[in-house]
Amino acid sequence: MRHQEEKPELVFVDLPVGRTFKPLEYPVTPELVQDFIETVGDRHPLYDEGLAPPGLAAIYARLSYLQEHTMPSGGVLAKQVIEYQNPIKIGDTLKVQAKVIESYEDEKKRKRVTFLIEAQDQKGMPVSTIRLYAIWPK
Amino acid sequence: MLKKAKTGDSLPVIEKEIDQDRILRWARTSGDFNRLHVDPEYAKQTRFGGTIAHGPMSLAFLNELMMECFGIGWVRGGKLLDIRFTAPLRPGDKVRVSGTVMQVQMIGGKWSVECDLAVEKQNGEKAVTGRALANAEFGMQNGE
Repeated sequence: MRHQEEKPELVFVDLPVGRTFKPLEYPVTPELVQDFIETVGDRHPLYDEGLAPPGLAAIYARLSYLQEHTMPSGGVLAKQVIEYQNPIKIGDTLKVQAKVIESYEDEKKRKRVTFLIEAQDQKGMPVSTIRLYAIWPK
Repeated sequence: MLKKAKTGDSLPVIEKEIDQDRILRWARTSGDFNRLHVDPEYAKQTRFGGTIAHGPMSLAFLNELMMECFGIGWVRGGKLLDIRFTAPLRPGDKVRVSGTVMQVQMIGGKWSVECDLAVEKQNGEKAVTGRALANAEFGMQNGE
């Protein structure tokens, strides 16, 4: 992974409606699941039976549009909506892809960007859909 | 896991403590090493005056609560709606993750439960608010 400081900033003009970022793929390893549940402190018994925490699909949502960029400072995450479609299992490989679905200046000249971020497993089954509403700093 | 629910019921409360170690572990797990989260000296110079926890960590707390209440039904069609981050979580914060049942309906032969959710700091300030819609595996005689 490139160090954060070496990447250019992702600015508002780079985010027209329809821009689709390259998919981010990652394996759901036992180690990743263990790190996640220890960090959160979520010890649901289903995680001992091969189920992965649903939040795993969301941890790389932000990274999915920042693979080649950094986030300019001063942004605000205004709202988020998440829908879970199917369980994630240990051993799955998730593919997460972000697309800009709204990009406009509001009446107060705030730069608003909405991402649709879809995650699916290695069989193409959807696991989650995230709508991330941000106020972009510049 | 909940066996039944009715409007006005409180969900079980989950309590968490935020510390810099937990924030660093989240950074390592998620790959989000934004200095606002991991660099106390840098964060002191920002409008936050210190490091803050990653927003998705709070989402993970809400997921934990919904998994505890609805189990596998949560990951098959559960929705977190209108999630708003209203105050940052900081090292030293002790938070309560809570919810209230707002509506229980039978839709298409399945129980659907709508809840208001909150992540609240020790001083009563709400850090995250939102709603959830969950599929519940209640029997036909749910107590609504």
